[in-house]
Amino acid sequence: MLFILNPQSGVPIYRQILEQVRRMVSSGQLQPGTELPSVRDLAVAHAVNPMTISKAYSLLEAEGLLARNRGKPMTVVGSARGTARGQTPLNKRVEQINPLVDQIVLAARQLQLSEAELVKALRRKWEETDE
Amino acid sequence: MNSATVEASHLGKMFGTKRVLQDLSFGVSPGDVVGVLGKNGAGKTTLLELMLGFTQPTEGAVRLFGHESYRLPGDAKARVGFVPQQDELVDHLTVADQLRVIASFYPHWDKDLMSRLCQEWGIDVRARIKGMSVGERQKLSILLAFGHKPDLLILDEPVASLDPIARRQFLEQLVEISTDGRRAIVFSSHIVSDIERLANRIWILKEGRFDWQGDLDSLKESIVRIHLRGSGRLPEVLAIPGALSVRRESAFPTAIVRDWTEGAQRELERQIAGTVEVEALGLEEIFVELHR
Repeated sequence: MLFILNPQSGVPIYRQILEQVRRMVSSGQLQPGTELPSVRDLAVAHAVNPMTISKAYSLLEAEGLLARNRGKPMTVVGSARGTARGQTPLNKRVEQINPLVDQIVLAARQLQLSEAELVKALRRKWEETDE
Repeated sequence: MNSATVEASHLGKMFGTKRVLQDLSFGVSPGDVVGVLGKNGAGKTTLLELMLGFTQPTEGAVRLFGHESYRLPGDAKARVGFVPQQDELVDHLTVADQLRVIASFYPHWDKDLMSRLCQEWGIDVRARIKGMSVGERQKLSILLAFGHKPDLLILDEPVASLDPIARRQFLEQLVEISTDGRRAIVFSSHIVSDIERLANRIWILKEGRFDWQGDLDSLKESIVRIHLRGSGRLPEVLAIPGALSVRRESAFPTAIVRDWTEGAQRELERQIAGTVEVEALGLEEIFVELHR
């Protein structure tokens, strides 16, 4: 499954798709030319409203990350932030994850976790999801 | 020609001297999936019944496909599908008989869809309805509303008795229906997570009025939890615009606010000389907060 969608997270589904496509394009996981699943397939697979998916695709098209070709699936064009092929530079990719880091650090402080405890939790998750 | 599936203006309903619904104006377009939320007694069923023309409005009007719903002509009626809270199945019939009876009312009955869904949903067409469980009856009642491919599907608490697997199958079928973009669905449910998946528009009814009406995405962006991090001591009294509730017991106060905007954020950050973190809320939390 290409996307991990959580309808209950509070973050609207179209935003979850926007962020995931942006990240995967930046990291080079989604290469130019890659075809994305159709709105219908994604909607049925995740049992979510099709319009929220078309909205995400249209916004990504407007950003220049995706292109719509008549009768063909949405296709990855390249990174909106410059480099058409390959990875966005490391510092730019770190910049993209910073808002999430801010949230994690804030939550950890509210829970009065130590830095070591937070790093440990992150490392555990990292290893769990390592392929 | 009109493109709206449903249009209502200043709709109101009284039962005797009791006001049940008041001043509801809304539209439903082809492709919309509207989720209707409200506590018990908020007026959800009455609203759906007004749309269906089962009862006459006391004030205002509601139109389906351009016709007043209380006087809906037969051909327009055939474009509506309805799943009531209490099923209207005939006990002594078998599933196959019940299917035949309903099919006979409609010229464009989709027999193939019915057979496919009976199989996928595990409904035995030879079973007698009398012996079916509440959940099985509900599945059948939903399935019957799909058969004539209605342009407007109205469902009143359709999933209350379904197990999680059956609910998921039901949701997938609703997605199938909505993907062609020509048909509209309006459904009420207490299972907020289902509405969160399926709906693009939300109506929150509170004491007979709309407490919120609009896009689910806008709702989630407008009602949020904020975390205040002042640089020094925060003022005793905080002027938080649109605050539904404020919690100050920890070092970092939090608040749930409505009508949140970036402008409101900048203003508040200036007031506390610090930063405001915004946390998105799930629909269930939003619903609960609106009812505090």
